[in-house]
Amino acid sequence: MNDSIKKRILVIEDEKHIAEGLKLNLSLQGYDVTVAENGNTGLKTWKSWQPDLIVLDIMLPGIDGLSVLRSIRLEDERIPILILSAKAETDYKVKGLAYGVDDYLTKPFSLEEFLLRVDRLLTRLSWYEENGMGNAGDGRGQNIHTFGDNRIDFSTLIAHGPQGEIQLTDQEAKLLKLFVTNPGKPLSRQKLLEIGWGYTRGTTTRTVDNFIVRFRKYFEKNPKKPVHFRSLRSIGYVFYSNPETR
Amino acid sequence: MTRSGWLFHPILILIFSILALGTSLFLYIYWYIEASTGLKSLVKRFNIDAGQVLESQTWVVILVLSILVGIIFMGIFIIFVYNVKTLQLYRLQHNFINSFTHELKTPVTALKLYLETFAKHELSREDQLKYIQYMLYDTGRLSDDINRILNLAQIESKSYGGELETHHLENAINRFLKNNSRYFQHCRISVSNPAGNAYLYLINPSLFNMLLMNILTNAVKYNNSKLPEIEISFEEKGKKLYISFKDNGIGIDKTEKKKIFKKFYQVGSSDDMSARGSGLGLYLVEHIARIHKGRIMMDSPGLGKGSTFTLILPLKYSL
Repeated sequence: MNDSIKKRILVIEDEKHIAEGLKLNLSLQGYDVTVAENGNTGLKTWKSWQPDLIVLDIMLPGIDGLSVLRSIRLEDERIPILILSAKAETDYKVKGLAYGVDDYLTKPFSLEEFLLRVDRLLTRLSWYEENGMGNAGDGRGQNIHTFGDNRIDFSTLIAHGPQGEIQLTDQEAKLLKLFVTNPGKPLSRQKLLEIGWGYTRGTTTRTVDNFIVRFRKYFEKNPKKPVHFRSLRSIGYVFYSNPETR
Repeated sequence: MTRSGWLFHPILILIFSILALGTSLFLYIYWYIEASTGLKSLVKRFNIDAGQVLESQTWVVILVLSILVGIIFMGIFIIFVYNVKTLQLYRLQHNFINSFTHELKTPVTALKLYLETFAKHELSREDQLKYIQYMLYDTGRLSDDINRILNLAQIESKSYGGELETHHLENAINRFLKNNSRYFQHCRISVSNPAGNAYLYLINPSLFNMLLMNILTNAVKYNNSKLPEIEISFEEKGKKLYISFKDNGIGIDKTEKKKIFKKFYQVGSSDDMSARGSGLGLYLVEHIARIHKGRIMMDSPGLGKGSTFTLILPLKYSL
């Protein structure tokens, strides 16, 4: 560590003993540590506290760890995330890595190995910062996405559609990003809620429908006959970037 | 998915075998009648004594054939049902192994973490004691898990139930709560017995405690409220005693209600990682209730609305 400010680490882990053990060790290493015991508070703490690294468990009550990961990656591509999970199957590792995790350790893990990996991830992050490639936290970068005659600039949150220029809200941008990064993949209302809002089960899914109505108004030539944001009966929605070629 | 393929395969085989069986029955009868009419015409032509030929037995033959084919059909059907059930159990067992390894790995992870911390750092005595408490708790958790598996084997082999003692149920519950208060520190549990009767029952104390432990820890574990609450109440209805455990937990969907007492069954699935625990708890609870000549019921108004487990025992008063 080459700076006077302590690096911040957020631990999202529901098993109290493991969480506290991690906190103890990371604090002894000189990090500033906060523990969140479920996905929901984890996401909230991530937003308000802006940690430099996140240690994430997969089996969490409420929103599972992979949804937390996807939710974070929608807004921040750069923050190092290390998954700590009892799931040792390659399937889970592949899934985690595909959703953009930086490292994956299976429980029970070796303390020394864990600390070294954390240290390595943070060192690498500080290189980026020295090169001026990252401006603390916000990794949106150059993000312009086009589909059909529409163009969305995720860095300025300005979109161009059939109706002209539209200023997107943060929430709209987040959900849009989820759609455009998963073209052709069906997304259930529940997954959309979990990833887009960080809600748990039991919350109304009507919210998602309202956003889709808005997106169709923004980006579809004929909102009544959508080609990009299509409904899938009893499943949810699917986004097509080039509806003709599918 | 290949899993649904698994299911359809035996059904197709069943249908084909039934069709083949039906056709063969039809053909047996058809050929038999054909042969016997041929014989009859022979008998007529050559003027042989009709009594010598098996004429009168046509219907007997048809009946016997039908019965035999019926038995074969039943056999195939039973094998089919058996096969489907085994497949189901296999799938549940797979689920169980998946989530139970998680259940075992968690305390091991915590233990390893603290032991390595102790090896690496010099901690103050105060901290040491705190973390040693944690480790003891985790060792307890680990041995509980192991016991649960062993108990399962014992209860299933029905060697249990022999060591029955007479206990005052309300006192037994209160005693259990007192002895295990460390599990229920952050919740409110109330016991009420409005009728005020003393219920003396022959119970196996360790099994009965296991039943209480499973129901109560479930109520706390599957609970998102700030303060988990459990109301235990005794009620007499007809010739039965109802002991209900009402919680303010996450409740359960109607579709899952019937399945929760199945061996290895868990709400949620191991694939999306929403399943937790061993899937054995409630299966054990049901078995224990049965050993005590009672049964267990569960009711929930729906997800997020809490649930009520009711232990129903035949009504007996104290002398």
